[in-house]
Amino acid sequence: MMFLVIGTEAVFFLSLIVAFVYYSLASGFNPQATQQLSLATTGAFSVLLLSSSFTFWRAEVSYQRGQVGGLKGWLLATMALGGIFLLGQGWEYWHLFVRDFTISKGIFSTSFYTLTGFHVLHLLIGLIMLGVVFWLAVLGDFDRPNSLVIPTAGIYWHFVDAVWVLVFTVVYLFPHILYKPS
Amino acid sequence: MEGNVYIPKPEEQLPSVDLEDSQGLLQWISSVDHKQIGILYLLMAVLYLLVGGLAALLIRTQLIVPENHFLSPQVYNQLFTMHGTTMIFFVLTPATLGFSVYMTPLMIGANEMAFPRLNAFGFWIAFFGGLLLYFSFLAGGAPDTGWFNYAPLNERAYASTPGVDYYCIGLLLGGIGTVGTAINLIVTILKMRMPGMQLRHLPVFVWMVLVTSFLILAAFPTLNAALSMLLLDRLWQAHFFAATAGGSALLWQHLFWAFGHPEVYILVLPAFGILSEVFQVYSRKPIFGYTFVVASGVAIALLAFGVWVHHMFATGQTNTFNAFFAASSMLIGIPTGVKVFNWLATLYGGSIRFTTSMLFALAFLVEFTIGGLSGVSFAVVPIDWQLTDTYYVVAHLHYVFVGGTLFGLLAGLFYWFPKLSGRMISERLGRWFFWLFTIGFNLTFFVQHFLGVIGLPRRVYTYPNLPYYGSLNLISTVGGFLMGAAVLFLLYILYQSIKRGEKAPDDPWDAYTLEWLTTSPPQLQNFGTVPPVRSFQPLRDLKQDLNKTKTA
Amino acid sequence: MLYSLAPPSIFDPASREADRLYALDVYFIVASLAVLLLVIGLLIYIVLKFRAQPGDEEPRQIGGNRKLEILMIGGPTVLVAIFFYLTVTTMRAVHPPAGNRSPDVVINGRQFWWEASYPGTAVTTANEIHLPVGRTLLLQLRAADVIHDWWVPTLGQKMDAIPGQSNHLWVTIKKPGIYDGVCSEFCGAQHAWMRIRVVAQPEAEYRRWLQERGQSARTPAGGTALTGAHIFKNATCGNCHRVRGTDASGNAGPDLTHFASRKTMLAGMLPNTKENVRKWLQNPQAVKPGALMPQFKYPKDSLNALVDYLVSLQ
Repeated sequence: MMFLVIGTEAVFFLSLIVAFVYYSLASGFNPQATQQLSLATTGAFSVLLLSSSFTFWRAEVSYQRGQVGGLKGWLLATMALGGIFLLGQGWEYWHLFVRDFTISKGIFSTSFYTLTGFHVLHLLIGLIMLGVVFWLAVLGDFDRPNSLVIPTAGIYWHFVDAVWVLVFTVVYLFPHILYKPS
Repeated sequence: MEGNVYIPKPEEQLPSVDLEDSQGLLQWISSVDHKQIGILYLLMAVLYLLVGGLAALLIRTQLIVPENHFLSPQVYNQLFTMHGTTMIFFVLTPATLGFSVYMTPLMIGANEMAFPRLNAFGFWIAFFGGLLLYFSFLAGGAPDTGWFNYAPLNERAYASTPGVDYYCIGLLLGGIGTVGTAINLIVTILKMRMPGMQLRHLPVFVWMVLVTSFLILAAFPTLNAALSMLLLDRLWQAHFFAATAGGSALLWQHLFWAFGHPEVYILVLPAFGILSEVFQVYSRKPIFGYTFVVASGVAIALLAFGVWVHHMFATGQTNTFNAFFAASSMLIGIPTGVKVFNWLATLYGGSIRFTTSMLFALAFLVEFTIGGLSGVSFAVVPIDWQLTDTYYVVAHLHYVFVGGTLFGLLAGLFYWFPKLSGRMISERLGRWFFWLFTIGFNLTFFVQHFLGVIGLPRRVYTYPNLPYYGSLNLISTVGGFLMGAAVLFLLYILYQSIKRGEKAPDDPWDAYTLEWLTTSPPQLQNFGTVPPVRSFQPLRDLKQDLNKTKTA
Repeated sequence: MLYSLAPPSIFDPASREADRLYALDVYFIVASLAVLLLVIGLLIYIVLKFRAQPGDEEPRQIGGNRKLEILMIGGPTVLVAIFFYLTVTTMRAVHPPAGNRSPDVVINGRQFWWEASYPGTAVTTANEIHLPVGRTLLLQLRAADVIHDWWVPTLGQKMDAIPGQSNHLWVTIKKPGIYDGVCSEFCGAQHAWMRIRVVAQPEAEYRRWLQERGQSARTPAGGTALTGAHIFKNATCGNCHRVRGTDASGNAGPDLTHFASRKTMLAGMLPNTKENVRKWLQNPQAVKPGALMPQFKYPKDSLNALVDYLVSLQ
């Protein structure tokens, strides 16, 4: 079931990415705008987010082995990493707002905020989901292995990370590589 | 081949979920039973049919004579927008989903859908999405930019009432419900079939529901993306679709039609499935070419994603670009043609019973062929360059949506009504309804082909007094009112049948699929035990086996 | 008379391009009628021959027939191939790329009227567009606000006018005459009254028309028309409307330099008469609700003078 969910969400993100690419090929696209993004900082936060896939994997392994303590610990780590990324995104947005890089500035900024914004939304939903799973673990629902809930939540969480890899590549890396500052 | 054969008796202890001895409004509202939710979807479709139909009659009244002043252009534009949006998203979609969630578990020998609460959620959020859309009338004006809501007309600068915002949000909510139900149906069909029922034993209707559900998952996100982007433009001054700020009006069209074209197949494939069942039962033959009928459904679904630009042939793309989509659009006509010929071949050599359901199915063959041919004419780009955006399109779309989908749904309604309600509909009344509706429908829309050919564009609140414009529009309006009367008559028939119809047996039509194994209506638990399966006609096989044991 | 005796039908081709399209239309009608009659014929036969009779046995249960299926796929495929060929050849014939050629007319779609300018001349007009007969013309289509669509059914295909984009159309008109068309993409409240009137003239007449329309507006000799000219200036009409030869140079509304030479007004909605002009100026929303012309309050005499001035702009 979760595969169907991420399948449909993947098409959604694909549509947004297609729109972004469409604009980057159209005239009027301002490559200077891409210089406003801080590749290094966001890159660092991205590493943290991708590590959360690793921590979730460890959580799942702990669960299969019946180590409920491990499950809870690694889940917390995953949520923490996701949360830090979220804060990092918020910090980046703040920095951009202050420099008048708003959603209505131009088509690059419009696409930027939309694509990253929807990713943030999905990440938030993922954090809530993990929170619920964590709480259920505390209540003892996962004392025995073989529930489908943990792997299902995992599919969604890995999806959120995978989408970020795609978004980061398309929005941050490609423009940086393709449009050298003149 | 194992499994006992057990046919439940009506006096079973479990409470039924029929319409007659209702368990109260609260029970219905809080139900997660797929049969009740199916009926709720059908009731929702009827409600919005009346509202959308009223809009249509107002439109036709305004158009009855040239230069009429019955409605102002502002009101007219809201009405035609709401008519289209309502009929597609809040009538045909829920009606289709209603039959899908009601019948799918029954046809695969399951007792429930995979996610009953998601099922209920999907219904209620779609229902409220529709209410929110209509609330716009009270909040400054309904959307008035057409059901496909092109940019930049849909931007705040040109559509300054909140109508378009309500359109976006109403459709987002409806879409969430639809996608949730599609996921539910896929998991149900893939995971909850009775033992022994392989995919090649699925009734054609269930196959079509499966294919349609995948279509929904792949098409709706594109619409959601477009709607979200438009809301950002309108509410936070983003620049997706405003040409003056570097945005692209055409991007809206690409995104919308990448959804919109698969959407029309979402609406028609399940109806094809219903008709496949109906043709078999009322001609007492199996579907001709089961594999080809199913495969053509899959082919249509795949091709559906490669044709969308045929809605944009007049936007100034290059000839090469257009030619590609012309080819794909012509190709998609082939699997559709295969289906029509297979249905005819099913009828051929059969023993045909002309029940009301079958009348709609037979009429469908003619109406949908007309609609399909006018559709293929648009694939011939130069013809499209003449006739797109005229009343010829209006004729085409109504022949496929009404003559195709709605006739299929009506065939399903008359076929399944005994199972849903436990009552039979009088064939005499049904026949009257059929003729009233079919004559009204053809009167309304056939002449519109001609109106398009003589230059009348669509979405005009009035037209000049050119030769034939007035007379053809008059005929069309008369037909429209006939259709309206027929629909009211249908509601009367349904009400009459529920109150005073003859009690229905479990299997009034001597049918072939498992929903007819249950009582009419089914008990809360659909099946106690289920029979062995070896073909896509499990009930027929069962009845044959029983006959053999009797005569043995 | 406001409109001709025949409706603007695609089966009444008046240009070479429309002739080509007409031929394709006929082929398609023949093919689709054949298919439809086949289906209807089969259905009638089936319905008559295979009706259920009381006491009927279950009929022979036939699952399918591979050969028949191939035929049912093959037949339509052949038709598709034929029509694909016809599609591509016809597209190439009636809509080759515009290339580097300069357009003969630039059409700008606006809410709710058509602006037409003739490159190389000073001529700008609205809604009634004159074209010469007998040679292949290139129309360029643009839009100032939302998407519109230019379509004259008897002259051939339609083409969208999209803001931010430049589209084109070719037309070779066969005979002089008046050819009516209409905006064919929903563009807002008055989409219905955004009609087109193409006046096709022999080359010599057309050149004369261009020359006349290229001249500035005549200044009224005196009387109420002259008073009207002053009112036009003071009431800021010139902020939206251009009248060449005066200070009025706005381009939000139609060019009025030769307003009175047009037979219709409001994009084909009404005949261009004094009475209609007066009604329009008095209360635009009562005449064409949703039009973007503001309502000015004139005292009665001023109104009449203004009307006299406008009617003098031949």
